[in-house]
Amino acid sequence: MTTTEPRAAVAPSRRAPRDASRPGLGTRLLAAAAGLVLIGGAMWLQTAKLVEGELGDPITYSGAKGETIDARRFTVRLDSITAAKSLQGASETITTDNLFLVVGASAKSSLKPYNLAQPVLVTADGKRFDATDRVDRTLTLQNTYVQPDIWVSGRFYFEVPASALPGASVVFALPQQGVMVEPYQPQVEVDLGLDEEAARKLAASPQDVYSTVKK
Amino acid sequence: MTEPSGGSTEKPRRPVVVPAIALVTLTAVGVVALLGGLNEAPEAPKPLGQGAVLDQGMYSTRFVESRVKVEKAQSTFDQDKRFVELVFDVTNKGDETAMVGMPPEKITSAFSTTSFAGSLVNITPAFDKEAGPFTFGLVKGDETQQLQPDVPTQVIVRYRLKENERPPEKITFDVASFEEGTSFLSGTPTWEMVSKQVGDKYYPEIKARVTLPVKQEAGT
Repeated sequence: MTTTEPRAAVAPSRRAPRDASRPGLGTRLLAAAAGLVLIGGAMWLQTAKLVEGELGDPITYSGAKGETIDARRFTVRLDSITAAKSLQGASETITTDNLFLVVGASAKSSLKPYNLAQPVLVTADGKRFDATDRVDRTLTLQNTYVQPDIWVSGRFYFEVPASALPGASVVFALPQQGVMVEPYQPQVEVDLGLDEEAARKLAASPQDVYSTVKK
Repeated sequence: MTEPSGGSTEKPRRPVVVPAIALVTLTAVGVVALLGGLNEAPEAPKPLGQGAVLDQGMYSTRFVESRVKVEKAQSTFDQDKRFVELVFDVTNKGDETAMVGMPPEKITSAFSTTSFAGSLVNITPAFDKEAGPFTFGLVKGDETQQLQPDVPTQVIVRYRLKENERPPEKITFDVASFEEGTSFLSGTPTWEMVSKQVGDKYYPEIKARVTLPVKQEAGT
């Protein structure tokens, strides 16, 4: 009883001045809006957070066609792209309803010799086309050792629909070692520099026959 | 003319709507509960035949036909080879190049694959180990193991027949399907086979049971 008495006496007197100094409606609305913005910002930040699987994503070094792109372990330059309707090998000629995209590339490594993996063509909407297995892999740049400071050149072959070309890029990487996924693997992403117009032009005038054996 | 809005009517209206809704709801809940709840009913495999199209999640597949195929001898030392073939039109609906793959040897090893042929289980009649199967995609007469995204590819699964072996009248097999999940290795989104655990084994969930009559070779 004795302890509650003084409080009861104080409480109304405390409330009274607060009511008097109540902020205006505009201030309160502003405060509410600021609060919403802060909450929204916090929620948006959550979406930018890397999820577990993305933490070990490859480190991508990107550039354009013709640029020398250093991915620290290896360096790649995409020299040329050619469209073709058929590929002539040593013994047979293969054809397609889509397009063969021949990618000429040069590469060197920094410290150790490597073989590049078969590259992947990534379309503007994120579809990933592996280099085709219809061309013998020993005919591609994958078959050549990429040694420190020695530039080697070769080609890779894709088979893609013409609709995959606008905005496409090619990703070069080293082959996967074992089952475990190595985090932060370097990879090189080269923008082919094909806008709608250039892609249409490339797809409209493919070479009839492209020889895969010529040097 | 509008009715008076005030509640000045003599007789208070009997509350009908609310109890009626309550009763209907209760009955509906009861009926649903009696029928086994709102859980997905266990799907019986759809029986499918020649020409049917099945959505396997990751692939859209048309079961074209089954046939006997003779490959003529390439040289005088060679001999004609006869195969029983299953023919599919497969479109990879995923975002990445997929593999044609192989039908699993055991149904319990199927769940870990995402290749197209990995979803073909219980192929009957069973063939010898030496008979195959051989699988490949056929693009313009050339073989591939890749199914490029959104590019329809004809896929052949075939078994070699021994000399004078009679091909079966029909071939029946079960088809599993795929759903998007999370890779346990890298934690990234990936396709996986729809399967259920029984004991310590995983069995694929069968989406359809396909029966194809084997088109016999001409002149036999």
